Formats: sequence, structure tokens, C-alpha cells
Amino acid sequence: MNPQTLLEGLIAGSMIGLGAIGVTLTYSILRFANFAHGDFLAWGAYLALAISGTLGSLAGGLAAPIGPFSFGWSLPIAAVLAAALTAGLALLVDALLFGPLRRRRSAVIILVMASFGAALTLRSLLELVFTSKPFYYTQELQIAMKLGSGMRATPDQLLCLGVAAVLVVLVHLLLTRSAIGREMRAVSENPALAGVVGVDVRRVVRTVWALGAALACMAGVIAGLLVQIRPQMGLDLLLPLFAASILGGIGSVPGAMLAGLIVGVAEAATVALVGAEWRAACAFVILVAILLLRPQGLFGRPD
Amino acid sequence: MTPVLATEALVAGYEPDLAIVRGVDLAVRSGELLLLLGPNGAGKSTLVKAIAGLVPVHEGTVRLAGVEITAAPAHEKVRHGLAFVPQTENVFATLSIEDNLRLAAQVLAKPRRAGRIAALYAMFPDLAARPASRAGALSGGQRQMLAVARALVVEPSVLILDEPSVGLAPKIVGEVFERLRAINRAGVTTVLVEQNVRAALAIADRAAILVEGRIAHLGPAATLAGDPIVAELYLGARRATAQ
Repeated sequence: MNPQTLLEGLIAGSMIGLGAIGVTLTYSILRFANFAHGDFLAWGAYLALAISGTLGSLAGGLAAPIGPFSFGWSLPIAAVLAAALTAGLALLVDALLFGPLRRRRSAVIILVMASFGAALTLRSLLELVFTSKPFYYTQELQIAMKLGSGMRATPDQLLCLGVAAVLVVLVHLLLTRSAIGREMRAVSENPALAGVVGVDVRRVVRTVWALGAALACMAGVIAGLLVQIRPQMGLDLLLPLFAASILGGIGSVPGAMLAGLIVGVAEAATVALVGAEWRAACAFVILVAILLLRPQGLFGRPD
Repeated sequence: MTPVLATEALVAGYEPDLAIVRGVDLAVRSGELLLLLGPNGAGKSTLVKAIAGLVPVHEGTVRLAGVEITAAPAHEKVRHGLAFVPQTENVFATLSIEDNLRLAAQVLAKPRRAGRIAALYAMFPDLAARPASRAGALSGGQRQMLAVARALVVEPSVLILDEPSVGLAPKIVGEVFERLRAINRAGVTTVLVEQNVRAALAIADRAAILVEGRIAHLGPAATLAGDPIVAELYLGARRATAQ
């Protein structure tokens, strides 16, 4: 594999990793695979698009590119606001759909099926509002910089890698050092005991939804900036997200990020060595292989 | 005097149409160690879980120091001063000893937390010796002590333990019971569910016998220990209530 393929894989992988953190957190706390997570990612991308467009039209200066990057201040501001709105969207979906099902003690398969329904609804709403035409945050062209060893990357790509790295460190510190992180680990191990110990489990569940959705939004903005914004973008990323969260070990934030990078690099290598049409098969092969060989993932504990 | 903990006509069970606890009136006196005995399936565990907020209450009330807490979720009952130690999986195995205690201390006001944890470490030197160890790596007896220490962090007015001797070696059971006795003598009202009748009667003030979801007998532990009817009721040889 040449260094350029590796770099491109890492860049795509950082996006997958951010999304996979949300999947792994909701899975470890709520104990079901949320198939709507990819659509939170797409919603995040579109919300940031709408907000940055509005900001740009209100104050033209905000749309002017910052330094070497292709976008103006309107995008980072919009990304932060969109992250908060995507968190709100996840809380709304939970209040309307998953919350009532949990109170009825529905089986896991019911929750999974409900998440499929939520995914379809969220995606169709995006198509209804924005059509299926692809959008971009910016029309600016960027020249890739030479990085040595034959590697080239645009400033946008390098920034996205950096942002992803910072977010992963922050989430990891939140989980391992803070009071809410300790509560999240407790609920993930034993929700009934957590209640007995004095943890408000419903508050922890809301925190996990908000955190997972905000990270999904950031992954969506990165995907939109580096590729394009389409209603299907979340669906296309779903398989890599699940492959990464299972490969990393359910509940492990560093695991999800590392596995995201592995899946990204594996996909880039597949495209380079086998052919672009095999990209989607790559995540699927990884998923099947982990489930057969090491179902607890890289950092997971065997049950 | 108002009992510290009281249930009135308590009916509870996991399923809405299946009552396991069928009308229990129980008044726990301040400072006592009350033992709950009964044959398997009598509803001892369900009763204490319903009091702690882990099993739905169908009818009746639970009061703590006169305040009704029947419908409060488990995490709020802790704030009222009710501490519960479940029978199994009563510590967070993946968390360190320190994190188990800190998690419990989060219920307290911030300035009190460090002091309470230090006090518990002074009481349980075995735990203080290895605060960073994962609770899952502890021996059965140490785990049980961590579970008790965790429950005591909040300085509860009532400590409820569901069969703390399960799975422990006989020698360790003696140590655990001595610990519980000392904690009770230090002023913590205690409700103890046990199958280990003889050892438990030795440390209890009063004992209640639960049969088929109702209290069949309640009296001083000392007289109960020598009463032949107890064996009969406890073993459930004869149906306690004519249906």
C-alpha cells in the first residue's frame, strides 16, 4: 500500500470513527443497535448546511474562506449549532419512539426494527426538504499540499483529521475522568444497580443520545466537507460504522476510533488494490470476520 | 415512635397480574437489626426489592421516617436515606474500588464526598489498601464488603441486604455477619434477608418469617431460635394460611 492510500484511508477512517463512537455508546447503554445513527449523521450535515448558508447570506464576511481552508467562519459556527440541534433531534426521537418502547420493556428486536423505521423517516424527510440533489458546503477549489513520501492532502482534510483526534480525546477524558462518565460506565455494566446506587439512569440515557448524536453531526459535517452532502450519506456509512464499533469492542471509545481508522484504511486499500466497486464489501468482510474470530472486538471484554 | 421504615398492605410483583408479595405490614424500629426469613419463593427478595424500587408495587405504601416513598424511583430512594445491597452483582465489576465508592458519593453534596469515602476506607482497610483494583478482581468476601461500604457512603437511615452470605465460605460468612452486627450497633438500622438461619438469628434483634408473600410470624430473634413452630413455618411444611 502506498503512503497516499494510507493517508486517504486515515482521513476517511477518522470520519467513520467519530460516527462509530456514537453507535458504540448507544449500544453499550441502551443495548440495541441503532440503525438510525447514520441518519443522525446526515441530518447533522444538512443542519450545518442550512445554518452556514443562512449565516453566509446574513453576513457575507462569514462565508469568506479562512486562511488555507475552503470555508469561512460560517461553517465551524454552523457545525457547533448543528451538533446541538442533532442532539435535540436524537432526544426527540427517543422521547417519541424508543422511550415508550423501553417503558413497555419491548424486546431488543422491536427496538432495532423501530430504529429502521426512524432511519427511513429521517432520510425521507431530508429528501423531502432538500431533494436528493447533492450539496456542498463550499465551491472553493483546494490544491493538495505535498507532505513528503509522496503524500498529498488538502488543508481541509488535515483539519478534519485534527478535529476528529481532538474530539476523540475529549470524549475519552469525559468517559474516564468525569462524574457523568463514571455514571455512563456504571449504567452500561448494570442499569438496575446504577439506580440503586443513586444514578438517575434516564438522565444518563439522555446524555448518551445527545453525545452520540453531536458526534454523528461532526462526522456528517466532515463527510460533507470532504465528499458531498446527500440524503443517502448516512445509509452508505452505516455498515462501516457498525463494523468499526464492533471491531473496536462495544463500549470502547478509543476502540471505536482505532477501528474506524482501520476500516477506513482497509476500504482505501481495497479501492486501490481491487477496485472501487468492492469498497462496500470491505466493511462487510471485516464485520463477518470479527464476529467469527473475535466477537468481543479489539478492546471488548468477552461476556 | 414512628418506625424508620414501614410498609402497609404492600402488594408487589414483577408482572402486573402476579403478586408475589401479598399484603405485608412491616414496621422496622430505629436501630434494630431485623431478619427476614422464609422458604424459597416466599417473596423475601421481592419484598426488599419492592421497598428499594426495583420491583413494581401494585398496592400499599412504603414509608421512610414517615415520608411516603412508595412510587419514587430507586435513585431517589437512596437520597431519602434508603440503601440497598442486592444479592448478586452488587458492585460494578468493571469499575475500580475507588470509582464504585465515588459513584455512590455523587448523591452527597460535593464538600461531603471526600470525607465520607475516607471514613469508609478507615472502616474497611482491605479496600483502602487497593483503591485502584477493579471490583471484579476482588474475592467474594471483599466484594461483599465493597457492596456494604458502597451502601454506607450515603449514611443511610436504613440498610437493606439481600442474602449477603450467598456464595461465601462459612468462615467468611461469620466475618461478614460480625461486620454487619458492628455496623448495626454503630446506629444503622438494618434489614437482613437470609437463608443462613442460625448464624443470622444470632446477630438479629427481631425476625419475621415470610410465607407465601405474607408475614406468618414476627418476634424477638432469641425466642424464635428455640421455637419448634419456627422450623415448621420456616420449612413451609404446612401451609401457613388456609386458602
